[in-house]
Amino acid sequence: MSSARQSSTWELRTQQILLPKSGLEFSECEDFIGADEENCRFAVADGATEAFDARNWAQRLAENWVRSDSALTPEAFHSWVATEGLALHSSWSQLALPWYAEEKARTGSFAAFVGLEIDLQTETPAWKAVALGDACLLHCRDGVLIKSLPLSSSASFNSAPLLVASEPSIYKTSEQSLVIDSGSCENNDVLFLLSDAAAAWYLKRFEQNTFSDLFEHNDGAALAEFFENERRTGRIRNDDIAVMRLEIQQRSIS
Amino acid sequence: MYSAQITRANPTCIVLLIDQSASMSDPFSGDSARKKSDFVAEVVNHTLHDLVIRCTKTEEVRNYYHIAVIGYGRKVWSGFAGPLASREIVPVADVADHPLQIKSSYRRVSDGAAGWVEIPVRFPVWIHPTADGKTPMVEALTHVKQILQQWLSQHPQGFPPTVLHLTDGESSDGEPYDIGREIMSLGTNDGQVLLFNCHISSRRSAKVEYPASENSLPDGFARTLFQISSPLPHSFQAAAAQLGVQTSEGSRGFVFNGDPSSIVQFYEIGTSLTGMTPYRWMDQEITEPE
Repeated sequence: MSSARQSSTWELRTQQILLPKSGLEFSECEDFIGADEENCRFAVADGATEAFDARNWAQRLAENWVRSDSALTPEAFHSWVATEGLALHSSWSQLALPWYAEEKARTGSFAAFVGLEIDLQTETPAWKAVALGDACLLHCRDGVLIKSLPLSSSASFNSAPLLVASEPSIYKTSEQSLVIDSGSCENNDVLFLLSDAAAAWYLKRFEQNTFSDLFEHNDGAALAEFFENERRTGRIRNDDIAVMRLEIQQRSIS
Repeated sequence: MYSAQITRANPTCIVLLIDQSASMSDPFSGDSARKKSDFVAEVVNHTLHDLVIRCTKTEEVRNYYHIAVIGYGRKVWSGFAGPLASREIVPVADVADHPLQIKSSYRRVSDGAAGWVEIPVRFPVWIHPTADGKTPMVEALTHVKQILQQWLSQHPQGFPPTVLHLTDGESSDGEPYDIGREIMSLGTNDGQVLLFNCHISSRRSAKVEYPASENSLPDGFARTLFQISSPLPHSFQAAAAQLGVQTSEGSRGFVFNGDPSSIVQFYEIGTSLTGMTPYRWMDQEITEPE
Protein backbone atom coordinates (compact mmCIF):
# COMPACT_ATOMS: atom_id res chain seq x y z
CA MET A 1 0.00 0.00 0.00
CA SER A 2 3.02 2.28 -0.09
CA SER A 3 2.99 2.79 -3.86
CA ALA A 4 2.00 6.07 -5.39
CA ARG A 5 -0.46 4.16 -7.53
CA GLN A 6 -2.28 2.30 -4.72
CA SER A 7 -5.38 3.83 -3.20
CA SER A 8 -7.75 3.58 -0.29
CA THR A 9 -10.75 3.60 -2.65
CA TRP A 10 -9.79 0.96 -5.19
CA GLU A 11 -8.07 -2.36 -5.04
CA LEU A 12 -6.88 -4.96 -7.49
CA ARG A 13 -7.66 -8.65 -7.38
CA THR A 14 -5.05 -10.54 -9.37
CA GLN A 15 -5.00 -14.12 -10.61
CA GLN A 16 -2.73 -15.81 -13.06
CA ILE A 17 -1.97 -19.07 -14.79
CA LEU A 18 1.14 -20.13 -16.65
CA LEU A 19 1.26 -23.41 -18.59
CA PRO A 20 4.02 -24.88 -20.76
CA LYS A 21 3.19 -26.58 -24.05
CA SER A 22 1.50 -29.89 -23.57
CA GLY A 23 4.08 -32.57 -22.86
CA LEU A 24 6.83 -30.12 -21.88
CA GLU A 25 8.25 -29.18 -18.49
CA PHE A 26 7.77 -25.82 -16.77
CA SER A 27 11.50 -25.27 -17.23
CA GLU A 28 10.85 -25.22 -21.01
CA CYS A 29 8.05 -22.64 -20.83
CA GLU A 30 8.99 -19.47 -22.74
CA ASP A 31 6.07 -17.37 -21.50
CA PHE A 32 6.62 -15.24 -18.42
CA ILE A 33 4.35 -13.17 -16.22
CA GLY A 34 5.74 -10.19 -14.37
CA ALA A 35 3.77 -8.71 -11.48
CA ASP A 36 4.66 -5.94 -9.06
CA GLU A 37 1.52 -5.16 -7.08
CA GLU A 38 3.19 -2.37 -5.14
CA ASN A 39 4.14 -0.68 -8.36
CA CYS A 40 0.80 -1.64 -9.98
CA ARG A 41 2.68 -2.93 -13.01
CA PHE A 42 2.04 -6.22 -14.76
CA ALA A 43 3.43 -7.78 -17.91
CA VAL A 44 3.38 -10.86 -20.10
CA ALA A 45 6.28 -11.74 -22.38
CA ASP A 46 6.35 -14.63 -24.81
CA GLY A 47 9.80 -15.73 -26.01
CA ALA A 48 9.90 -16.72 -29.67
CA THR A 49 10.40 -20.47 -29.86
CA GLU A 50 12.87 -20.25 -32.72
CA ALA A 51 14.99 -17.52 -31.12
CA PHE A 52 18.24 -17.84 -29.19
CA ASP A 53 17.86 -17.73 -25.40
CA ALA A 54 14.21 -16.71 -25.76
CA ARG A 55 13.31 -17.88 -22.30
CA ASN A 56 15.80 -15.56 -20.63
CA TRP A 57 14.80 -12.66 -22.86
CA ALA A 58 11.11 -13.08 -22.06
CA GLN A 59 11.83 -13.40 -18.36
CA ARG A 60 14.04 -10.31 -18.39
CA LEU A 61 11.41 -8.26 -20.22
CA ALA A 62 8.50 -9.30 -18.01
CA GLU A 63 10.22 -9.11 -14.66
CA ASN A 64 12.31 -6.00 -15.19
CA TRP A 65 9.60 -3.91 -16.83
CA VAL A 66 7.24 -4.24 -13.88
CA ARG A 67 10.02 -3.12 -11.53
CA SER A 68 10.88 -0.09 -13.61
CA ASP A 69 9.17 3.26 -13.44
CA SER A 70 9.42 4.42 -17.02
CA ALA A 71 9.14 2.85 -20.48
CA LEU A 72 5.62 4.05 -21.16
CA THR A 73 6.49 6.39 -24.01
CA PRO A 74 7.94 5.15 -27.30
CA GLU A 75 11.30 6.81 -26.61
CA ALA A 76 11.51 5.49 -23.07
CA PHE A 77 10.51 1.98 -24.16
CA HIS A 78 13.04 1.91 -27.01
CA SER A 79 15.76 3.05 -24.62
CA TRP A 80 14.74 0.49 -21.99
CA VAL A 81 14.76 -2.34 -24.57
CA ALA A 82 18.25 -1.28 -25.71
CA THR A 83 19.54 -1.47 -22.14
CA GLU A 84 17.95 -4.85 -21.52
CA GLY A 85 19.21 -6.17 -24.86
CA LEU A 86 22.74 -5.10 -24.05
CA ALA A 87 22.58 -6.86 -20.70
CA LEU A 88 21.26 -10.04 -22.34
CA HIS A 89 23.96 -10.06 -25.01
CA SER A 90 26.63 -9.38 -22.37
CA SER A 91 25.50 -12.50 -20.52
CA TRP A 92 26.43 -14.53 -23.62
CA SER A 93 29.87 -13.06 -24.14
CA GLN A 94 31.67 -15.49 -21.83
CA LEU A 95 30.00 -18.57 -23.28
CA ALA A 96 31.99 -20.94 -25.49
CA LEU A 97 29.32 -21.70 -28.05
CA PRO A 98 29.21 -24.28 -30.83
CA TRP A 99 28.98 -22.80 -34.36
CA TYR A 100 25.20 -23.06 -34.59
CA ALA A 101 24.61 -21.36 -31.26
CA GLU A 102 27.10 -18.64 -32.17
CA GLU A 103 25.27 -18.10 -35.48
CA LYS A 104 21.89 -18.00 -33.78
CA ALA A 105 23.12 -15.64 -31.08
CA ARG A 106 24.21 -13.11 -33.72
CA THR A 107 20.61 -12.24 -34.47
CA GLY A 108 19.80 -11.97 -30.78
CA SER A 109 16.58 -12.98 -29.14
CA PHE A 110 12.92 -12.14 -29.73
CA ALA A 111 9.78 -11.96 -27.61
CA ALA A 112 6.27 -10.57 -27.75
CA PHE A 113 5.54 -8.20 -24.89
CA VAL A 114 2.61 -6.45 -23.27
CA GLY A 115 2.99 -4.31 -20.16
CA LEU A 116 0.25 -2.65 -18.11
CA GLU A 117 0.39 0.07 -15.47
CA ILE A 118 -2.68 0.83 -13.41
CA ASP A 119 -3.20 4.01 -11.41
CA LEU A 120 -5.72 3.54 -8.61
CA GLN A 121 -5.15 6.94 -7.03
CA THR A 122 -7.32 8.87 -9.42
CA GLU A 123 -11.07 9.12 -8.93
CA THR A 124 -11.48 6.80 -11.89
CA PRO A 125 -8.84 4.07 -12.08
CA ALA A 126 -6.73 4.50 -15.21
CA TRP A 127 -4.44 2.20 -17.15
CA LYS A 128 -1.63 2.66 -19.61
CA ALA A 129 -0.28 -0.17 -21.73
CA VAL A 130 2.60 -0.82 -24.05
CA ALA A 131 2.68 -3.76 -26.47
CA LEU A 132 4.77 -5.12 -29.31
CA GLY A 133 4.04 -8.45 -30.95
CA ASP A 134 1.05 -10.68 -30.36
CA ALA A 135 0.84 -10.70 -26.56
CA CYS A 136 -2.38 -8.81 -25.81
CA LEU A 137 -4.31 -6.72 -23.33
CA LEU A 138 -8.08 -7.27 -23.23
CA HIS A 139 -10.31 -4.88 -21.25
CA CYS A 140 -13.72 -6.32 -20.33
CA ARG A 141 -16.76 -4.80 -18.68
CA ASP A 142 -19.79 -6.87 -17.69
CA GLY A 143 -18.57 -9.71 -19.88
CA VAL A 144 -18.20 -7.46 -22.93
CA LEU A 145 -14.86 -6.75 -24.62
CA ILE A 146 -14.40 -2.99 -24.76
CA LYS A 147 -10.78 -2.86 -25.90
CA SER A 148 -8.11 -5.20 -27.20
CA LEU A 149 -4.56 -4.36 -28.17
CA PRO A 150 -2.33 -4.66 -30.11
CA LEU A 151 -4.48 -7.25 -31.95
CA SER A 152 -8.26 -7.18 -31.94
CA SER A 153 -9.42 -10.28 -33.80
CA SER A 154 -8.65 -13.98 -33.54
CA ALA A 155 -7.85 -14.02 -37.27
CA SER A 156 -4.97 -11.56 -36.79
CA PHE A 157 -2.58 -14.05 -35.24
CA ASN A 158 0.06 -15.45 -37.55
CA SER A 159 3.36 -17.19 -37.11
CA ALA A 160 5.58 -14.22 -37.90
CA PRO A 161 4.64 -11.16 -35.83
CA LEU A 162 7.06 -8.29 -35.31
CA LEU A 163 8.58 -8.78 -31.87
CA VAL A 164 10.80 -7.09 -29.31
CA ALA A 165 14.29 -7.88 -30.60
CA SER A 166 17.29 -7.80 -28.31
CA GLU A 167 19.59 -6.86 -31.20
CA PRO A 168 19.35 -3.07 -31.70
CA SER A 169 19.49 -3.01 -35.52
CA ILE A 170 16.73 -5.62 -35.73
CA TYR A 171 14.64 -3.90 -33.06
CA LYS A 172 14.85 -0.75 -35.15
CA THR A 173 12.91 -2.49 -37.92
CA SER A 174 10.00 -3.36 -35.62
CA GLU A 175 9.82 -0.37 -33.28
CA GLN A 176 7.28 1.38 -35.49
CA SER A 177 4.81 -1.36 -34.58
CA LEU A 178 4.93 -0.47 -30.88
CA VAL A 179 1.45 0.22 -29.53
CA ILE A 180 0.89 2.49 -26.55
CA ASP A 181 -2.62 3.12 -25.32
CA SER A 182 -4.58 4.07 -22.23
CA GLY A 183 -8.04 3.70 -20.75
CA SER A 184 -10.12 4.06 -17.64
CA CYS A 185 -11.92 1.50 -15.51
CA GLU A 186 -15.15 1.11 -13.64
CA ASN A 187 -15.89 -1.05 -10.66
CA ASN A 188 -15.57 -4.78 -11.51
CA ASP A 189 -13.83 -4.18 -14.82
CA VAL A 190 -11.47 -7.00 -15.75
CA LEU A 191 -8.17 -6.67 -17.61
CA PHE A 192 -6.43 -9.69 -19.10
CA LEU A 193 -2.78 -9.85 -20.16
CA LEU A 194 -2.35 -12.82 -22.48
CA SER A 195 0.26 -14.57 -24.58
CA ASP A 196 -0.76 -15.28 -28.16
CA ALA A 197 -2.48 -18.67 -28.00
CA ALA A 198 -4.61 -17.60 -25.04
CA ALA A 199 -5.32 -14.20 -26.62
CA ALA A 200 -6.55 -15.82 -29.83
CA TRP A 201 -8.70 -18.19 -27.79
CA TYR A 202 -10.24 -15.37 -25.70
CA LEU A 203 -10.90 -13.19 -28.74
CA LYS A 204 -12.58 -16.12 -30.50
CA ARG A 205 -14.88 -16.55 -27.48
CA PHE A 206 -15.86 -12.89 -27.64
CA GLU A 207 -16.41 -13.08 -31.41
CA GLN A 208 -18.68 -16.10 -30.94
CA ASN A 209 -20.45 -14.58 -27.91
CA THR A 210 -19.40 -17.57 -25.82
CA PHE A 211 -17.13 -15.76 -23.37
CA SER A 212 -17.33 -16.77 -19.75
CA ASP A 213 -14.80 -15.75 -17.13
CA LEU A 214 -13.07 -19.02 -16.28
CA PHE A 215 -11.29 -17.53 -13.28
CA GLU A 216 -14.52 -16.80 -11.41
CA HIS A 217 -15.22 -20.44 -10.63
CA ASN A 218 -11.98 -22.35 -11.17
CA ASP A 219 -8.78 -22.74 -9.22
CA GLY A 220 -5.38 -23.19 -10.88
CA ALA A 221 -5.64 -26.96 -11.22
CA ALA A 222 -9.10 -26.75 -12.78
CA LEU A 223 -7.91 -24.06 -15.20
CA ALA A 224 -4.90 -26.17 -16.21
CA GLU A 225 -7.16 -29.13 -16.85
CA PHE A 226 -9.58 -26.94 -18.82
CA PHE A 227 -6.87 -25.59 -21.14
CA GLU A 228 -5.35 -29.05 -21.59
CA ASN A 229 -8.73 -30.26 -22.76
CA GLU A 230 -9.06 -27.28 -25.11
CA ARG A 231 -5.69 -28.28 -26.59
CA ARG A 232 -6.80 -31.88 -27.05
CA THR A 233 -9.89 -30.76 -28.94
CA GLY A 234 -7.85 -28.33 -31.06
CA ARG A 235 -9.73 -25.24 -29.87
CA ILE A 236 -6.48 -23.72 -28.61
CA ARG A 237 -3.09 -24.15 -30.20
CA ASN A 238 -0.56 -26.25 -28.29
CA ASP A 239 1.56 -23.32 -27.21
CA ASP A 240 2.69 -21.95 -23.86
CA ILE A 241 -0.17 -20.17 -22.10
CA ALA A 242 0.16 -17.09 -19.90
CA VAL A 243 -2.93 -15.38 -18.50
CA MET A 244 -2.85 -12.57 -15.96
CA ARG A 245 -6.30 -11.47 -14.80
CA LEU A 246 -6.76 -8.19 -12.95
CA GLU A 247 -10.11 -7.15 -11.53
CA ILE A 248 -10.67 -3.59 -10.38
CA GLN A 249 -12.79 -3.44 -7.24
CA GLN A 250 -14.02 -0.64 -5.06
CA ARG A 251 -13.00 -1.20 -1.47
CA SER A 252 -15.89 -1.86 0.86
CA ILE A 253 -16.15 0.76 3.61
CA SER A 254 -16.62 -0.88 6.98
CA MET B 1 -3.72 -32.41 -43.34
CA TYR B 2 -0.16 -31.04 -43.42
CA SER B 3 -0.84 -29.24 -40.16
CA ALA B 4 0.81 -31.46 -37.53
CA GLN B 5 3.08 -29.66 -35.12
CA ILE B 6 6.70 -30.72 -35.64
CA THR B 7 8.13 -31.73 -32.29
CA ARG B 8 10.94 -33.89 -30.99
CA ALA B 9 8.39 -36.61 -30.26
CA ASN B 10 6.94 -36.27 -33.76
CA PRO B 11 9.74 -35.07 -36.03
CA THR B 12 9.48 -34.84 -39.77
CA CYS B 13 11.85 -36.12 -42.44
CA ILE B 14 13.47 -34.11 -45.24
CA VAL B 15 15.17 -35.84 -48.14
CA LEU B 16 17.43 -33.79 -50.41
CA LEU B 17 17.82 -35.86 -53.58
CA ILE B 18 20.48 -34.43 -55.88
CA ASP B 19 21.38 -35.28 -59.46
CA GLN B 20 25.19 -35.55 -59.49
CA SER B 21 25.55 -36.79 -63.07
CA ALA B 22 28.38 -35.56 -65.33
CA SER B 23 26.19 -32.90 -66.96
CA MET B 24 25.98 -31.09 -63.62
CA SER B 25 29.52 -29.86 -64.29
CA ASP B 26 28.14 -27.75 -67.17
CA PRO B 27 27.49 -24.08 -66.46
CA PHE B 28 24.08 -22.43 -66.29
CA SER B 29 23.12 -20.70 -69.50
CA GLY B 30 24.48 -17.16 -69.57
CA ASP B 31 26.83 -17.86 -66.66
CA SER B 32 29.80 -19.68 -68.09
CA ALA B 33 31.84 -19.19 -64.93
CA ARG B 34 29.60 -21.17 -62.62
CA LYS B 35 29.03 -24.91 -62.74
CA LYS B 36 25.60 -26.18 -61.79
CA SER B 37 27.13 -28.66 -59.34
CA ASP B 38 29.02 -25.88 -57.52
CA PHE B 39 25.92 -23.76 -57.13
CA VAL B 40 23.72 -26.67 -56.02
CA ALA B 41 26.27 -27.75 -53.40
CA GLU B 42 26.37 -24.19 -52.06
CA VAL B 43 22.57 -23.98 -51.84
CA VAL B 44 22.29 -27.40 -50.20
CA ASN B 45 24.92 -26.42 -47.60
CA HIS B 46 22.96 -23.22 -46.90
CA THR B 47 19.76 -25.20 -46.60
CA LEU B 48 21.32 -27.60 -44.09
CA HIS B 49 22.75 -24.61 -42.20
CA ASP B 50 19.32 -23.00 -41.99
CA LEU B 51 17.61 -26.21 -40.89
CA VAL B 52 20.17 -26.56 -38.08
CA ILE B 53 19.78 -22.93 -37.02
CA ARG B 54 16.00 -23.27 -37.01
CA CYS B 55 16.28 -26.17 -34.54
CA THR B 56 18.84 -24.46 -32.32
CA LYS B 57 17.57 -23.66 -28.85
CA THR B 58 20.34 -21.72 -27.19
CA GLU B 59 23.17 -24.28 -27.02
CA GLU B 60 21.17 -27.33 -28.04
CA VAL B 61 19.90 -28.50 -31.42
CA ARG B 62 16.51 -30.16 -31.09
CA ASN B 63 15.70 -33.04 -33.39
CA TYR B 64 12.66 -31.64 -35.13
CA TYR B 65 14.00 -32.86 -38.49
CA HIS B 66 15.58 -36.08 -39.68
CA ILE B 67 17.55 -35.39 -42.83
CA ALA B 68 18.82 -37.48 -45.73
CA VAL B 69 21.05 -36.16 -48.51
CA ILE B 70 21.21 -38.59 -51.42
CA GLY B 71 23.22 -38.08 -54.57
CA TYR B 72 22.96 -40.03 -57.80
CA GLY B 73 25.28 -40.18 -60.78
CA ARG B 74 27.99 -42.78 -61.12
CA LYS B 75 26.03 -44.53 -58.36
CA VAL B 76 23.39 -43.80 -55.75
CA TRP B 77 25.04 -42.79 -52.51
CA SER B 78 24.87 -40.61 -49.46
CA GLY B 79 25.42 -36.99 -50.40
CA PHE B 80 26.97 -36.45 -47.00
CA ALA B 81 30.71 -36.88 -46.78
CA GLY B 82 32.80 -37.58 -43.70
CA PRO B 83 31.33 -39.15 -40.56
CA LEU B 84 27.73 -38.94 -41.84
CA ALA B 85 28.42 -40.71 -45.15
CA SER B 86 27.52 -44.14 -43.84
CA ARG B 87 24.13 -43.06 -42.49
CA GLU B 88 20.86 -42.84 -44.45
CA ILE B 89 18.69 -40.49 -42.38
CA VAL B 90 20.42 -38.33 -39.79
CA PRO B 91 18.79 -36.40 -36.90
CA VAL B 92 19.47 -32.68 -37.35
CA ALA B 93 21.52 -32.48 -34.12
CA ASP B 94 23.99 -34.96 -35.62
CA VAL B 95 24.06 -32.95 -38.85
CA ALA B 96 24.93 -29.90 -36.73
CA ASP B 97 27.78 -31.64 -34.97
CA HIS B 98 29.41 -33.23 -38.03
CA PRO B 99 30.10 -30.78 -40.84
CA LEU B 100 33.11 -31.59 -43.01
CA GLN B 101 34.56 -28.17 -42.34
CA ILE B 102 33.50 -24.72 -41.18
CA LYS B 103 34.41 -21.74 -43.35
CA SER B 104 34.45 -18.18 -42.07
CA SER B 105 33.46 -15.07 -43.98
CA TYR B 106 31.59 -11.81 -43.59
CA ARG B 107 27.99 -11.01 -44.38
CA ARG B 108 26.59 -7.57 -45.12
CA VAL B 109 23.36 -6.95 -43.30
CA SER B 110 21.14 -3.94 -42.86
CA ASP B 111 22.02 -1.84 -39.83
CA GLY B 112 18.34 -1.06 -39.36
CA ALA B 113 18.76 2.50 -40.59
CA ALA B 114 19.94 3.37 -44.08
CA GLY B 115 23.27 1.61 -44.02
CA TRP B 116 24.93 -1.76 -43.89
CA VAL B 117 27.19 -3.45 -41.40
CA GLU B 118 29.48 -6.42 -41.91
CA ILE B 119 29.20 -9.23 -39.44
CA PRO B 120 31.39 -12.33 -39.23
CA VAL B 121 29.58 -15.55 -40.07
CA ARG B 122 30.54 -19.19 -40.26
CA PHE B 123 29.51 -21.48 -43.08
CA PRO B 124 29.66 -25.18 -42.37
CA VAL B 125 30.13 -27.48 -45.36
CA TRP B 126 28.55 -30.91 -45.50
CA ILE B 127 28.63 -31.70 -49.20
CA HIS B 128 31.15 -31.03 -51.95
CA PRO B 129 30.20 -30.47 -55.60
CA THR B 130 30.06 -33.76 -57.48
CA ALA B 131 29.38 -34.44 -61.19
CA ASP B 132 30.11 -37.88 -62.54
CA GLY B 133 28.27 -40.60 -64.51
CA LYS B 134 24.74 -40.94 -65.88
CA THR B 135 21.34 -40.10 -64.38
CA PRO B 136 19.96 -43.21 -62.62
CA MET B 137 16.83 -41.43 -61.42
CA VAL B 138 14.68 -44.56 -61.03
CA GLU B 139 17.32 -46.28 -58.91
CA ALA B 140 17.66 -43.14 -56.80
CA LEU B 141 13.91 -42.78 -56.28
CA THR B 142 13.69 -46.49 -55.44
CA HIS B 143 16.32 -45.92 -52.76
CA VAL B 144 14.37 -42.96 -51.41
CA LYS B 145 11.22 -45.07 -51.23
CA GLN B 146 13.06 -47.77 -49.26
CA ILE B 147 14.50 -45.42 -46.67
CA LEU B 148 11.18 -43.58 -46.31
CA GLN B 149 9.29 -46.84 -45.78
CA GLN B 150 11.68 -47.70 -42.98
CA TRP B 151 11.44 -44.22 -41.44
CA LEU B 152 7.63 -44.15 -41.68
CA SER B 153 7.35 -47.51 -39.93
CA GLN B 154 8.91 -45.80 -36.90
CA HIS B 155 7.15 -42.43 -37.36
CA PRO B 156 3.58 -43.08 -38.51
CA GLN B 157 2.30 -39.85 -36.95
CA GLY B 158 3.25 -36.25 -37.55
CA PHE B 159 4.11 -34.03 -40.46
CA PRO B 160 4.88 -36.29 -43.47
CA PRO B 161 8.31 -36.43 -45.14
CA THR B 162 9.27 -33.96 -47.86
CA VAL B 163 11.47 -35.05 -50.77
CA LEU B 164 13.20 -32.23 -52.65
CA HIS B 165 14.51 -33.65 -55.91
CA LEU B 166 16.81 -31.60 -58.12
CA THR B 167 17.86 -32.79 -61.58
CA ASP B 168 19.25 -31.33 -64.79
CA GLY B 169 18.26 -34.09 -67.19
CA GLU B 170 16.17 -37.04 -68.16
CA SER B 171 16.45 -40.35 -66.39
CA SER B 172 19.00 -42.76 -67.88
CA ASP B 173 17.48 -45.89 -66.33
CA GLY B 174 13.82 -45.72 -67.27
CA GLU B 175 10.60 -43.81 -66.61
CA PRO B 176 10.42 -42.33 -63.09
CA TYR B 177 6.58 -42.09 -63.15
CA ASP B 178 5.71 -45.33 -61.35
CA ILE B 179 8.30 -45.03 -58.58
CA GLY B 180 7.46 -41.34 -58.14
CA ARG B 181 3.79 -42.15 -57.64
CA GLU B 182 4.71 -44.94 -55.22
CA ILE B 183 6.64 -42.46 -53.08
CA MET B 184 3.70 -40.05 -53.19
CA SER B 185 1.38 -42.80 -51.95
CA LEU B 186 3.36 -43.22 -48.71
CA GLY B 187 2.46 -41.04 -45.75
CA THR B 188 1.59 -40.44 -42.12
CA ASN B 189 -1.69 -39.70 -40.39
CA ASP B 190 -1.13 -36.03 -41.38
CA GLY B 191 -0.81 -36.52 -45.13
CA GLN B 192 1.05 -38.19 -47.95
CA VAL B 193 4.75 -37.77 -48.65
CA LEU B 194 5.46 -34.50 -50.45
CA LEU B 195 7.61 -35.02 -53.54
CA PHE B 196 8.78 -31.77 -55.14
CA ASN B 197 10.90 -31.66 -58.30
CA CYS B 198 13.17 -28.93 -59.59
CA HIS B 199 14.58 -29.33 -63.09
CA ILE B 200 17.43 -27.02 -64.02
CA SER B 201 18.87 -26.46 -67.45
CA SER B 202 22.00 -25.28 -69.21
CA ARG B 203 19.87 -24.21 -72.17
CA ARG B 204 18.34 -20.79 -72.50
CA SER B 205 14.71 -21.86 -72.25
CA ALA B 206 11.68 -20.33 -70.60
CA LYS B 207 11.29 -21.52 -67.02
CA VAL B 208 8.00 -22.78 -65.61
CA GLU B 209 7.55 -22.45 -61.85
CA TYR B 210 4.90 -24.11 -59.71
CA PRO B 211 2.34 -24.73 -62.49
CA ALA B 212 -1.18 -25.92 -61.69
CA SER B 213 -1.62 -27.73 -65.01
CA GLU B 214 0.44 -29.48 -67.66
CA ASN B 215 -0.64 -27.10 -70.44
CA SER B 216 2.41 -24.87 -70.37
CA LEU B 217 4.94 -27.71 -70.28
CA PRO B 218 7.09 -28.27 -73.37
CA ASP B 219 7.52 -32.06 -73.55
CA GLY B 220 6.74 -35.49 -72.16
CA PHE B 221 9.61 -35.46 -69.65
CA ALA B 222 8.34 -32.21 -68.15
CA ARG B 223 4.82 -33.66 -67.95
CA THR B 224 6.13 -36.78 -66.20
CA LEU B 225 7.92 -34.66 -63.60
CA PHE B 226 4.73 -32.62 -63.16
CA GLN B 227 2.75 -35.79 -62.55
CA ILE B 228 5.15 -36.96 -59.85
CA SER B 229 5.14 -33.58 -58.09
CA SER B 230 2.81 -33.08 -55.11
CA PRO B 231 0.39 -30.15 -54.93
CA LEU B 232 1.77 -27.43 -52.65
CA PRO B 233 -0.07 -27.43 -49.30
CA HIS B 234 -1.39 -24.03 -48.25
CA SER B 235 1.39 -23.39 -45.75
CA PHE B 236 3.98 -23.87 -48.51
CA GLN B 237 2.01 -21.53 -50.78
CA ALA B 238 2.12 -18.93 -48.01
CA ALA B 239 5.89 -19.38 -47.75
CA ALA B 240 6.17 -18.93 -51.52
CA ALA B 241 4.14 -15.72 -51.29
CA GLN B 242 6.52 -14.36 -48.65
CA LEU B 243 9.34 -14.90 -51.14
CA GLY B 244 7.38 -13.13 -53.87
CA VAL B 245 6.70 -16.37 -55.78
CA GLN B 246 3.21 -16.60 -57.19
CA THR B 247 1.32 -19.87 -56.82
CA SER B 248 -2.32 -20.78 -57.20
CA GLU B 249 -4.76 -23.43 -56.02
CA GLY B 250 -3.44 -26.71 -57.35
CA SER B 251 0.12 -25.48 -57.94
CA ARG B 252 2.56 -28.36 -57.90
CA GLY B 253 5.92 -28.34 -56.17
CA PHE B 254 7.59 -28.34 -59.56
CA VAL B 255 10.01 -26.14 -61.50
CA PHE B 256 11.07 -26.78 -65.10
CA ASN B 257 14.09 -25.16 -66.76
CA GLY B 258 14.89 -23.41 -63.51
CA ASP B 259 17.72 -20.89 -63.11
CA PRO B 260 19.87 -20.24 -60.02
CA SER B 261 17.21 -18.14 -58.30
CA SER B 262 14.67 -20.93 -58.90
CA ILE B 263 16.94 -23.36 -57.06
CA VAL B 264 17.27 -21.09 -54.04
CA GLN B 265 13.52 -20.52 -53.86
CA PHE B 266 12.81 -24.22 -54.40
CA TYR B 267 14.79 -25.17 -51.30
CA GLU B 268 13.42 -22.26 -49.26
CA ILE B 269 9.82 -23.08 -50.09
CA GLY B 270 10.40 -26.82 -49.81
CA THR B 271 11.79 -26.54 -46.29
CA SER B 272 9.30 -23.93 -45.06
CA LEU B 273 7.22 -26.65 -43.30
CA THR B 274 3.94 -25.73 -41.59
CA GLY B 275 4.16 -22.06 -42.30
CA MET B 276 7.53 -21.36 -40.70
CA THR B 277 9.03 -18.21 -42.12
CA PRO B 278 11.51 -19.12 -44.84
CA TYR B 279 15.02 -17.89 -44.24
CA ARG B 280 16.24 -15.15 -46.54
CA TRP B 281 19.93 -15.49 -47.09
CA MET B 282 20.16 -14.60 -50.78
CA ASP B 283 19.40 -10.95 -50.11
CA GLN B 284 22.35 -10.72 -47.77
CA GLU B 285 25.58 -10.13 -49.60
CA ILE B 286 28.42 -12.47 -48.75
CA THR B 287 31.92 -11.05 -48.93
CA GLU B 288 35.52 -12.11 -48.64
CA PRO B 289 35.62 -15.78 -47.66
CA GLU B 290 38.75 -16.45 -45.67
